[in-house]
Amino acid sequence: MKGWRTLFPNAWYVAVREYRARARTRSFVVGTGLLALIAFAATQLPVLIDYSMTTSQTRIAVVAEAAGMPSDSLAVLDGQLNGQAADTNAHKAFVLSWLSAGDDVAAQKDLEQGTYDVLLIVARDAATNDLGFTVRTDIPQDGSAVASITHALLSLEIDDRLFRAGTSTAALTAPFSLTIGPANATSAGTNSISHQVSADLLSTGLIMLIFMAIITYGQWVAMSVAEEKGSRVMELMLNATTPLQMLAGKVLGNGAAGLTQYGIILAAVVGGLLAQGQIHKAVLGTSSGAPFGGMDPTVLGAFAVLFVLGFLMYSLLYAALGSLVSRQEDVQSAATPLTMLVMTGYLMSVFGLQAIDESWVKIASFVPFFSPYLMLARVSVGHVEMWEFGLSALMLLISVGIALFVAARIYSAGVLLYGQRVSLRQIFLAIRVSR
Amino acid sequence: MSLIIESVSKRFGDVQALEDISLEIKPGEVFGLLGANGAGKTTAMRIVLDILRPDSGTIAWNGRFNRDLPRETWGYLPEERGLYAKMNVLEQLVFFAKLHGVRSKVAEREARGWLERFRIPEYADRRAEQLSKGNQQKIQFIAAILHDPQVLLMDEPFTGLDPVNVALLKEAFLEIKERGKTLIFSTHQMETVEELCESIAIVDRGRVVVSGSVRDVRRSGGRQMVRLAVEGDPEMAWLAELDGVRVTRRGQDYTEMQVTSGHNPEVVLHAALGRDLKVTHFEIADPSLEQIFIEHVGQIDTTERTLAPKVPA
Repeated sequence: MKGWRTLFPNAWYVAVREYRARARTRSFVVGTGLLALIAFAATQLPVLIDYSMTTSQTRIAVVAEAAGMPSDSLAVLDGQLNGQAADTNAHKAFVLSWLSAGDDVAAQKDLEQGTYDVLLIVARDAATNDLGFTVRTDIPQDGSAVASITHALLSLEIDDRLFRAGTSTAALTAPFSLTIGPANATSAGTNSISHQVSADLLSTGLIMLIFMAIITYGQWVAMSVAEEKGSRVMELMLNATTPLQMLAGKVLGNGAAGLTQYGIILAAVVGGLLAQGQIHKAVLGTSSGAPFGGMDPTVLGAFAVLFVLGFLMYSLLYAALGSLVSRQEDVQSAATPLTMLVMTGYLMSVFGLQAIDESWVKIASFVPFFSPYLMLARVSVGHVEMWEFGLSALMLLISVGIALFVAARIYSAGVLLYGQRVSLRQIFLAIRVSR
Repeated sequence: MSLIIESVSKRFGDVQALEDISLEIKPGEVFGLLGANGAGKTTAMRIVLDILRPDSGTIAWNGRFNRDLPRETWGYLPEERGLYAKMNVLEQLVFFAKLHGVRSKVAEREARGWLERFRIPEYADRRAEQLSKGNQQKIQFIAAILHDPQVLLMDEPFTGLDPVNVALLKEAFLEIKERGKTLIFSTHQMETVEELCESIAIVDRGRVVVSGSVRDVRRSGGRQMVRLAVEGDPEMAWLAELDGVRVTRRGQDYTEMQVTSGHNPEVVLHAALGRDLKVTHFEIADPSLEQIFIEHVGQIDTTERTLAPKVPA
């Protein structure tokens, strides 16, 4: 194969042509725009969640008819209902309005008009001297809001009984000792739900990115090969280039088009995250937390290596399969075995993320067809030695070389084969007779 | 210093596509490759271009084997025409020329020149799919020659063109020949071959049945044709009595007969004059290529035994 010596500049010309042809299609332009829009919208999800929380506030009117209630009654109710986090009314799930004994008629009217969602009347039982509560509301009585209110009222009742028993409010609200640490006392790392969730989300997201890239852009490569065969322009190309130049050009060109799409989507995501604070402020009047939590440079580096190598290997094989059919409609079915393999790797990683230390995950993270997914999963949520990653990447790199060789053979034979169905036997025969 | 095809054989599975083909094509020559469908013309061209590898045999141009030659040595117009449908005409012409090592600016200038010559300059900025089949074929021809190849191979270049475009293409052929290039094309249109080619080869079922200069091929059977017209005796029944003479065609203008090798065609004239007939037309000629072709290959075969790719139904 003389193509090995003279890959460029022809592979480059082919790549440029492929890139332009791809980037000009309507499906590329519309698809990229749509995906970027969706990605941008997704980054504004926290704003949406916060916004929906403020609009789903439960407004409670408390009519305190009971005499001699503890002075911290409002604080107890508020603390129980809203927790410690929120400091302004805008972020509270429950907004309390403390009314005095004579306001019950006006409050009842306001409740019926919808100014309040709940009317709570606190009275003192003449016989037991305990607090008694009357709750009037149209929100579901078995819902979580009513359950929270019930729970808060229990606390208020206990507070009141202790107060009457002689405990001072200062003693009632005094802080108590509480230490939370890792299971292994010597372990240094702290764990939080948000950190764990973002690490999980990040690895799931990155694995999905690899999966989508291989499925989508790999099929682009196969499509482009079949298109050239179908339109017979292949015959002109065969005299102008070597199969290896064509193969390399197609993989590079379509890969670059794919990366462009990814770049635009990524820009939308980063832009969305950066704008998140501003938008949050504009909509809700407060800014949100740091957007880039949980991004680990090691994980991103591993992602880059596995993404590029995995894409190269798979798209070379897609090109080889594309060369076996003469019509674009047949690409899907010809590529099915490979697509199944891509899906298998992805599904393995979905289960693997939940069982990261199982031996099958470790083994699969070295198998070239699956390592782009599973090694990434292990890097992001498990524990991987440097040599393990190096070995896996090296094996993947060697597989890219093998894929290039095999694909070039199948390709140079396949592009001259025309017919409805190409059998395995024909492929082997064609490889034997090709140059 | 020529294109030498030596003992080339190629087998696809059970089919012997080419069997021990040997040909020599001189530089600067227009060479015709004649054969029925499936005779092996396309396979032979693909092997010369090193798109396919032969099972045995070699191809050399000016003393170098084809696998050592740069691709831009060759220009190729495939029988199955195709262009990038969505790409505009000038862009793809430049693209193909660049693949052959031509600089963009040169390629663009040359391409515009050829579009002008083929009377389609306004199509430079159209997408290929917007062109008629005939015009697409002209674009493909330009794509094949834009890098000024030393040898131009064309598979059935004239099929599908109207007479005006056939004439334009023939002109282009002659100009390329004048530049000292070698042209090889396959066809089954005998008139074109007689008009353009200096040498030919007739291929049948993977074998060269006869090759050489057009004159040598026409004389290869040793037979000569006699065309005779006389007044008052349209039947000329007496021709049957002449030794070595066989009537091949009776027409309004003249009767055509074949005179077997070893017999003097003038016998026919003497016989006519001996019968006191007034001869209005007497002509001795070599058999036409069509007759030679039919002699060697049999009837022009319309059934497809082709190994070349066919568009799937």
